[in-house]
Amino acid sequence: MLTDVLQYLVNGLIVGALIALPALGLTLIFSVLGFVNFSIAAQLTAGAYAGWLANTLLHLPLIAVLICSFVVAGALGVVTDRIALAPIRRKSTSQTPLMVAIASIALNMALENAYRFYFGSGLNSFDMPIARDMKIGAVRIGRQQLHNLEIAIGLAVLLALFFSLTRIGKAMRAVADNVDLARLKGIEPVRLANLATFIGMGLAGIGGALLAIDTSVDPSTGSRLILLIFAGSVVGGLTSLPGAVVGALSMGMIGELGLLVLPPVYQSLTAFVAILVTLLARPGGIFSGATGVRR
Amino acid sequence: MSKIDRRNLLRAGLGAGGLMLSSNLSSSWAQQNDPIQIGLIIPLTGATSQFGATMGQAAKIAETEINSAGGVRGRPIQIVIEDDQSNPEAAVRAAHKLIDVDKVVAIGGSYASAVTSAIAPLCWEGRTVLFTSSGADSITKLPHQGYIFRTSPTVTLQGTRVGDFAVKLGAKKMFFLGPQTPFAQSYIDIISSIFKAAGGSGSGLIYEDKKASYRSEVDQALKESPDVIVLGGYVPDTSVVLKDLYRAGFSGKKVGFSFGINDALTKAVPAEASNGAYSLVPSASENSEAYKHLVEKMKLSHLDSYSCQVYDHVVLASLALAHAPSGKVDGTAVRDNVRAISQDSEGKRTDDVVDALKLAASGAHVNYDGPSGALEFADNGDVKGVFFRYEQVEEGKLVVRKVG
Repeated sequence: MLTDVLQYLVNGLIVGALIALPALGLTLIFSVLGFVNFSIAAQLTAGAYAGWLANTLLHLPLIAVLICSFVVAGALGVVTDRIALAPIRRKSTSQTPLMVAIASIALNMALENAYRFYFGSGLNSFDMPIARDMKIGAVRIGRQQLHNLEIAIGLAVLLALFFSLTRIGKAMRAVADNVDLARLKGIEPVRLANLATFIGMGLAGIGGALLAIDTSVDPSTGSRLILLIFAGSVVGGLTSLPGAVVGALSMGMIGELGLLVLPPVYQSLTAFVAILVTLLARPGGIFSGATGVRR
Repeated sequence: MSKIDRRNLLRAGLGAGGLMLSSNLSSSWAQQNDPIQIGLIIPLTGATSQFGATMGQAAKIAETEINSAGGVRGRPIQIVIEDDQSNPEAAVRAAHKLIDVDKVVAIGGSYASAVTSAIAPLCWEGRTVLFTSSGADSITKLPHQGYIFRTSPTVTLQGTRVGDFAVKLGAKKMFFLGPQTPFAQSYIDIISSIFKAAGGSGSGLIYEDKKASYRSEVDQALKESPDVIVLGGYVPDTSVVLKDLYRAGFSGKKVGFSFGINDALTKAVPAEASNGAYSLVPSASENSEAYKHLVEKMKLSHLDSYSCQVYDHVVLASLALAHAPSGKVDGTAVRDNVRAISQDSEGKRTDDVVDALKLAASGAHVNYDGPSGALEFADNGDVKGVFFRYEQVEEGKLVVRKVG
């Protein structure tokens, strides 16, 4: 029993690590721009495709592949945001955040179908060897997945440093806290909005590439996970970066641990009951009030 | 009320009558010249979309062939393709559109069992024939009044074949891993009972599709230490399960179905993860002239059974209408005449659409055999006499092991 629990915890951490990066991206964009950008699913897929092309056509190593994914997903995120979402944000009313969020769902569908048009519906695998798991005691751990976890945590730490040490990171936090005050201090919110979108979507892109290395990439790769990503971000409080990581990891772990008591068909149920319980106990998410982009 | 006098009433009546007359005229004109619409609900996107594109192409070839041979009763046929998105909800919307707006006489394609189960009631209520390539037994058990024809082998048949095959491979302990579908539990029951009858044992687990990892499901399966795992999923989930089985170091046998283990899968999974996996493939009638002809027209070296079936869906609907003694062009006429053109023991056997059309139009007896098979239907609408092939992945490619 104990080894089962341990094994499922490890499996859950691995699933959680895969969704932690896009959840970080979603949280970052929400903190700075004030709306939930659901098109992050399509950027995750974009990153996965970019990584796949870099890997299979250019035969680049892992780190270069991930940089490709970051840049392509980030750039595509900024361009599509400028074209489709920024014009709606310009005339701001109380309904704007919801309208932009809905528009981002539409944007997500448009992008997904564009991928389908160019790449077809097939599954595409990376040209990377697949490794057998290592055994630590009775618990199996995948090497690839362990890498994913390390990369996700490493990026979260880098991001935290960026926000607490650099001028531009602090400026972003200022915009997140109060746009008008930040503008009075001479901070240009639009430029920061672009940067936040670039980093947020880039993170999703890396997440997509890691996920695709583990599984494969097809046009719906991102859409299949968007609810889980959103859930991770919400549980973490939507504006807290450490919260997003913890939220994503706990969504993964709760889902897998649920298998101990429930048949696997009901797995997403356990995760979503967990959201309800978290939000009932702490309406602002587990990390409400904690340090993040927004203090 | 006082403003309506007799004269105005008369004018209005005449006007309305005239309108009705003209609309009557135009609709009868339309019936004489407009194309006969045949709907197609196929998966072009989503988890079941591996054969969607070739299904559509095969149907279009049937359309071209029938129209260049003069059409049906002097009218061309027209294929209306709708994407079911591998999603029953989208399929229901598509079926409503095809039946109510396009007024199709029949709907073909209909691949995933969940999709077919969802649209079947709309079809029989709308007196529209549904040709399906789905496997779930429950479909033809519905009160479909004869409007459903299934050209694919049933789940029971496929499950029995997979079970027998796995037993012949020497396996004793079977574990089934598959997503929630209308047929998952039947597979577990059927295959387990075959193993029990052979002195072994069997169990299974139904998982949720759309997951990024099936490690915990694989852990649960391996706890039973099976020597064969039956994979009952479609390509996206089966590809992840195969990778996770490899990572977990599973060294037993793997057997799956053609909707999960096929060329799309071998391209998506590294060879080391897929090697050795068997696939049960409902076979098209690959030695027939009809099959060779269709493959050549599609400029391919090989065509899956499902796309052949969809080609036959279009042909069956057209031939049935061409043969219908009543001369009516509607779903009921299709229903009442499919068997007359596909399994008339006195009919002239042909696997050429143009020949078959001429014979049917001239009122002669005809027995059409298509690229998908002999197309003989039992009373409940299930096709009889299906061939299977057993294939195995070798160095990342599927190789035929046995035809039976």
